[in-house]
Amino acid sequence: MKLSVYSLKKILFQDEARLLNCKTVAGEITVLDNHETLITVLSAGAIKVVDDKAGEHFFPIKSGFLEVKENNEVRCIVEE
Amino acid sequence: MELVSATKMRKSQQIALDSRPYSFAALELLANVSALEDLKKWNIPLFEVRKNIKRVLFVLVASDKGLAGAFNSSVFKKFAAHFSKWASLARPKGAGREDHIFLAIGEKANAYLQKQGYNIVKKFTQAGDFTTPEQVKPIIDFIVQGYLEKKWDRVIIISTHFRSALKQEPHVRRVLPIDFDHVADTIKQIIPERGKFAELIKEQNINFVPNRNPSAGSGLREYTIEPAPEKVLEKLAEHLFFMQIYHLILEANASEHSARRMAMKTASDNACDLGEKLNLQYNKSRQSRITTEIAEISAGAEAQS
Repeated sequence: MKLSVYSLKKILFQDEARLLNCKTVAGEITVLDNHETLITVLSAGAIKVVDDKAGEHFFPIKSGFLEVKENNEVRCIVEE
Repeated sequence: MELVSATKMRKSQQIALDSRPYSFAALELLANVSALEDLKKWNIPLFEVRKNIKRVLFVLVASDKGLAGAFNSSVFKKFAAHFSKWASLARPKGAGREDHIFLAIGEKANAYLQKQGYNIVKKFTQAGDFTTPEQVKPIIDFIVQGYLEKKWDRVIIISTHFRSALKQEPHVRRVLPIDFDHVADTIKQIIPERGKFAELIKEQNINFVPNRNPSAGSGLREYTIEPAPEKVLEKLAEHLFFMQIYHLILEANASEHSARRMAMKTASDNACDLGEKLNLQYNKSRQSRITTEIAEISAGAEAQS
């Protein structure tokens, strides 16, 4: 899936990704390929991203939003 | 000095541009959510337009330091003009008197408001050469909290809009209650009309107007919204407001630096001119002294022979 993670200061991640794991206000979720469309609020914690080459990335966040769009596109806007 | 300010201006602009993807994404998210659900269905305090406006908060964004040409005075002039117009506006009957409260951002704004004898509720200084979201947070928290506690019913910001490196204009904006179009305007203005960064719009093919009309385009998409649209909107409103103020301050910063750059350029040009003139004057008077002396000596020699 195409994943982008934006913060006010910079683009944290923008690439193909295999997996996204984050904490939302309703509980922890993992987004994989072809997830259903979803809008949710993220709570404080770490976002874990696994990219195509199985490399792991972690981003600590205070709050933010997750939007899973059609066509396998995922977008996060976060506050660090 | 000119170079220092030029570098600072570039950097301020860069910071504003770095946050652009975030702003666009947030705006689109709001557009998506509001296309799915009617914004007015819930009473989200930050979106709600209050009918009876008793108190208005004016926020004046200026610089901490002087020597920035007309930067500060143009903001103050705009404010004075807007304020007198606002105050003379006919009030609807029975609405009562409207109170005005003032918030100063920057030492110069504070000094100006104090001199005019206005009621300053708080001042924020040191918004910094390069603003970070952390520095802006206390300002935003203060404004939002006061708004929610009904200390004021409307917030108006007077700040400088960075049109290009050579042109900055003071602008008056209503930031609370939040209006979708106002936020979109602010975000659009992140990119200057001309200059180094103006090209970016074309390159990246940025779409400013998110599709608000679900019947056009791809149609109403089915979104699962967790935990509830209301909660998401509430959070989103906070984020959008934060972003908007952050950008207004960044823009004011970039404007300040470029105004200072121009002021410094004029100052050094002027100093060069002055130096040349004085040098010429000095040489002329030296030459005339030498000529008189030679004339005297030759006259003396002639008299002796």
